[in-house]
Amino acid sequence: MRFRIRRFDGEKSYWQEFDVPVKRGMTVLECLFYIKENLDPTLSFRASCRMGVCGSCAVRINGKPMLACETQAFRLKEPVKIEPLKNFNVIRDLVTDFEGFFKKHEIVKPYLIRRSEGEIRQTPEELKRYYIYTLCIKCGACMSACPVAKNCLGPMPVVSAYRFNEDSRDEGKEERLKILSDHIWHCHFVAECSEVCPKGIEPAEVIQKLRLEVLRRRW
Amino acid sequence: MPSLNTIAFYLHRITGVILAIYLCMHLCFLTTVKTGQYSSLIKVTLSKQFLPFDLLLFLIGIYHGVNGIRLIIHEFGLLYRYRRVLLYSTFIITAVLWIIVALEVIM
Repeated sequence: MRFRIRRFDGEKSYWQEFDVPVKRGMTVLECLFYIKENLDPTLSFRASCRMGVCGSCAVRINGKPMLACETQAFRLKEPVKIEPLKNFNVIRDLVTDFEGFFKKHEIVKPYLIRRSEGEIRQTPEELKRYYIYTLCIKCGACMSACPVAKNCLGPMPVVSAYRFNEDSRDEGKEERLKILSDHIWHCHFVAECSEVCPKGIEPAEVIQKLRLEVLRRRW
Repeated sequence: MPSLNTIAFYLHRITGVILAIYLCMHLCFLTTVKTGQYSSLIKVTLSKQFLPFDLLLFLIGIYHGVNGIRLIIHEFGLLYRYRRVLLYSTFIITAVLWIIVALEVIM
């Protein structure tokens, strides 16, 4: 199979083609490793767990942000175009800079805020309310797919805020909603974030829910 | 090829800008009309040469309106899970309304 990879050497950006002998069951990540090990050792990309848990290998495959480790090469249309994530600064080849992404994440205070001490009990029903949002692996696919994420908070931090807001152990909901009230109005409901999320989370839905919650409050 | 969500988003923005420009031009045009001249000036825009532009304007207006309603529904927190159905419906409703309006104008 022919792979067209967007390369960046720190100065110029260009396309490079590689032919990979793809076998049934090979993922795009395995193809990238094949290229690196056999064709061009200078190719740079991120990868870690190889099983869709760490979120390191998110790239744009044929224009759509996906996890390379969870994408079967045989299912793709040739030539397979692989590019770095959009809305991120490219460091080299497919490696993007996630510093801004994590700074945006910090804004929403993505941790449990407690004012009281002692044991906290949580029922399975309470856990169910936010469990799906804990599956976010911070791969950046939603941020890459969002047409307005570059100039605003973007979907991932909002999902993270919602996850803690819905957690019965948390006492920082009001604080977070105040912060979000400055950030959640940029969404145009393109819903691409929900379409591309490899974990099936619905950031577009979460943003609308949080908007309603913010609107119900009068600070 | 961008997805239908993205196409709908960009179409909404483009049609919005076109409608805003059209509105400004329309208001400027009307303010320059002197009393008694309206009928003769409006005849120009009712000519056959203007018909394709009128039809295009209807299409733009209808799409922007129908898609706007879809977005309002979602932003009120409703029907997220049916967003694909609503998206396809937007294009179908736009096409149907446009055909009805176009036939009405042409006939």
